[in-house]
Amino acid sequence: MDPPDDLDEYLRGDSALSRQYRRESAPPPPHALDRRVLGLSRAREADAHGTAQRPTPWLAPLAFAASVLLSVALVLAIAFGPQTVKRVDDAPRLMRVAAHADASNPALDRRLRLYSSDPKLARPPSAWLADIAALRRAGRNSEADAELRRFRSTYPDYPAGELAIRP
Amino acid sequence: MLEFMEPLDEDAKLMVRYRDGDADAFSALYARHKGPLYRYLLRQVRNAGAAADLFQDVWSRLIATRSRYEARAKFATYLFHIAHNCSVDFFRRDLKMRRTARSDDADAQLEPEVPEYQRPDGIAEFAEQQSALLAALGALPQEQREAFLLHEETGLTIEEIARITDVGVETAKSRLRYAIRKLKKSLLPAEIPVRSPYGHERFEQHAIHGPARRLG
Repeated sequence: MDPPDDLDEYLRGDSALSRQYRRESAPPPPHALDRRVLGLSRAREADAHGTAQRPTPWLAPLAFAASVLLSVALVLAIAFGPQTVKRVDDAPRLMRVAAHADASNPALDRRLRLYSSDPKLARPPSAWLADIAALRRAGRNSEADAELRRFRSTYPDYPAGELAIRP
Repeated sequence: MLEFMEPLDEDAKLMVRYRDGDADAFSALYARHKGPLYRYLLRQVRNAGAAADLFQDVWSRLIATRSRYEARAKFATYLFHIAHNCSVDFFRRDLKMRRTARSDDADAQLEPEVPEYQRPDGIAEFAEQQSALLAALGALPQEQREAFLLHEETGLTIEEIARITDVGVETAKSRLRYAIRKLKKSLLPAEIPVRSPYGHERFEQHAIHGPARRLG
């Protein structure tokens, strides 16, 4: 059976066993080991400073502001971008308005009625082609085609202008 | 795990400062604990090279995990818990290597499974190089030796030793008790037979405090 006071006596400190253990010579850690461990600590410290310096205090708000600006720009582009394109598409619409104005050109109608009533009557070629072009602009292509056919039968060698031929 | 708040010891305050970026605090901690830690490891593994590697490993782990440090107990408890884990890993690796080496060599199957320093001849040789107490310490089972070293080198209580070694308080107490009982025997005067002038043997008592001598 264990003596009851063995451990208690030892734990009170200053036992013969402890005194003897402390008298034993013990080598300290080699200096090379000291240098290695302290070097490890310094290296880790340098790493920590390196990473700590990267995020600056103003970088987060700046990034946020940039994000907001980009978002606003994107929303504006989506909201107003198609309308800008539409303005480009406005040109045909204006042409159609102008053509509508041409379509109700009474002088042109009078000329067409006059020349179609008598096949012997012939306009000068440039004036005829100008009328055909006016018909094209007014969207009256079938009439323009008929006038072009009559023009070619009257002046077979006269070159027709682009405006008169193309719808 | 601590369920109550202990007042911070000086070392724990230093460790908190180190955690918060004070590099000088680490130097102070290192200076205070390098001796006890090195002796603990050296006498645990009984091999200077392995002790040096483990010593560096312990400090490396402390440095690497400093940001997670919370001062809930004595700093020594924290440091030597790391040291305990490192030494457990070492003994595990050592055992595995010896088993591998043994399986590689069929003849070696006849050899005992204990490490060289624990074999009788190894212990005897080791004992020649150091005191009877250290030889007896080296001959203790690893758990008992660790309990004794933790108490001697750090002054930690049995409860703290139990926490470090991940065992119950009664187990830690039992280990320390057995260690003390065996070590005390090494301090007892040894009976050495001497021949009397009258031609018959008698026994004289000699305390073995210096280097042990192999008799016979």
